[in-house]
Amino acid sequence: MTPGKLVFKNITQRRGRFVFTLLGIVIGMACFVTFMALGGSLKSQIEQESAALGANLVVTPKGSCAYEQVSILTGEQLPTTITADEVRVLRAIDGMTAIPYLAERSAIDNRPVSVLGILPAETRAFKNWEITAGSYFASEDAQGAVLGSVLAEQFGLEPGGEVRVRGTMVRVIGVLAETGGKDDLTVFLSMPLAQSLYQQEGLVSYVAVRVDRLDEVDLYAMKIKEKVSLGVVSDKQMLSAVLSIVGTVNITLQLIAAVAILAAAFGIVNTMMTATYERKREIGILLAMGANRTRIFHLFLLESGIYGLLGGLAGGVLGLGASILAAPYISQNAVTSFVKGTQTSIDPLMFIGAVFFSTLVAMAAGFYPAWKASKLSPVEAISYE
Amino acid sequence: MNKSIIKTHELTKTYGRGANLTRALRGVDMEIPRGSFTCIVGPSGHGKSTLMHLIGGLDRPSSGRVLIDGQDVSRMAEKKLAMMRAVKIGFVFQFFNLLQSLTALENIEIALMLAGVPEARQQKRALELLELVGLSEKANAKPGQLSGGQQQRVAIARALANDPPILLMDEPTGNLDSTAEDEVMHVLETLNQKGKTIILVTHSSEIAARAENVVRVRDGRLEAD
Repeated sequence: MTPGKLVFKNITQRRGRFVFTLLGIVIGMACFVTFMALGGSLKSQIEQESAALGANLVVTPKGSCAYEQVSILTGEQLPTTITADEVRVLRAIDGMTAIPYLAERSAIDNRPVSVLGILPAETRAFKNWEITAGSYFASEDAQGAVLGSVLAEQFGLEPGGEVRVRGTMVRVIGVLAETGGKDDLTVFLSMPLAQSLYQQEGLVSYVAVRVDRLDEVDLYAMKIKEKVSLGVVSDKQMLSAVLSIVGTVNITLQLIAAVAILAAAFGIVNTMMTATYERKREIGILLAMGANRTRIFHLFLLESGIYGLLGGLAGGVLGLGASILAAPYISQNAVTSFVKGTQTSIDPLMFIGAVFFSTLVAMAAGFYPAWKASKLSPVEAISYE
Repeated sequence: MNKSIIKTHELTKTYGRGANLTRALRGVDMEIPRGSFTCIVGPSGHGKSTLMHLIGGLDRPSSGRVLIDGQDVSRMAEKKLAMMRAVKIGFVFQFFNLLQSLTALENIEIALMLAGVPEARQQKRALELLELVGLSEKANAKPGQLSGGQQQRVAIARALANDPPILLMDEPTGNLDSTAEDEVMHVLETLNQKGKTIILVTHSSEIAARAENVVRVRDGRLEAD
């Protein structure tokens, strides 16, 4: 017999209470791990997306707020207030490449997808795209769509097939190789086709700019502001603006999880307090057999620690499972649209951390009951009926 | 070696204060010879159990001293006192007091664990003890599956786990029928013949008649035999 075995037998003796107390901490930890996993994946996806943008500067409609910056990274619909004239002025500036985009939304099988109007040749060079099936746009005003790889797979679309964009059937020309970013989930159209389908003739949503000399990024930002009345943000500014929003979302989620864990911790306090009353006599027997107060304290602390350990393990597994299952369903709004498919960040270190944290919380919760148990007088405990 | 294994000197125990003051023991001087079989008898509520708790180091006296093997246990530090309970004294109670979630074997192993016996050596010793009380075949039975007499024999085996020189028993046969009582008394007499000092608190005059020493407690004092 060891203290561990004794405690385990004690816990499992009262199965109903064991299961329900454990469920409390499992649910708390599952929330915590789910939110951490989703939050973590949001952040890493955003960083990836920003890199995939391939731009140093982004020109947005004037008065661009953080929401618009999020929209650029997530492929949300944007106000189309950059005119063809402004695009022409931007493209005329030497020492930089400016690529306009028209970002719109459509739906396939009732699931929202991003639609991006592009300048085919320049965008392909800008983003280094490869084609895995079919072909690429043959001309700048080609009538057809090129699809991101994940989107094509999700909806079973192949070159030769058709995709409905804003009520019009558009022939699928080709499918891009996987990029790992949001492009995998986007329908690309040539700019003239996109503008006519969405009745946005001559207008674009934003312009991505890559400067030839990185050390002159700020200079070009000034130049752009001089020539057109539009907002200019650097990719770093944009990233930090978006990450700060994501940070707020993450903190909110974690606070909710903390409340769940706190509630579970009080469940443990309750269970352990009940155990000290119920097992008063048992404590007396142990004391009579030669257990000292420290030993009683350790046994009770170990018992709550086991709740935390088991709850952390089960909650961790459940949480990761839930985050994988939940990810596709929460990918329908601007902030969470990064989380898609099976891409949640499963970090083994986070899992171990969660189990450790849960054990620690449970032991903290068990501290007072364990102290109470260790303070029982042997005679009082042994005479308890 | 000291002739008496247990000695008490002007032992008193009071509970409560002021109007609620209860004097459970009012100056008990007593000597228990090594290897003796002593019964403590007396009416309910007159201090028998209190005396046993003080001798066993489960409680501390209000004044006076308890010496076990010449050591004053009334002022011993808590950890040392606990260790003394583990190795020098085996307790047996009226209600058996076995841990319900554990088997007979495991109940004995707990006592060994508390005295610091490594797990690898616990099982062999526990089986020996069950054999001693004639319950080898019940090793894996839980207390609920045993009769009262069998439970009390497991409790005796547990009390013997660390081979203590003293066995302290509070009404060990109080909840048993006469057959079971006889079984238990037989085990105790055998142990006494092997050199264990046995102190037994009882109401029963039949049991007291089987003991070599009888100590009578009345109103917190000893009565002459």
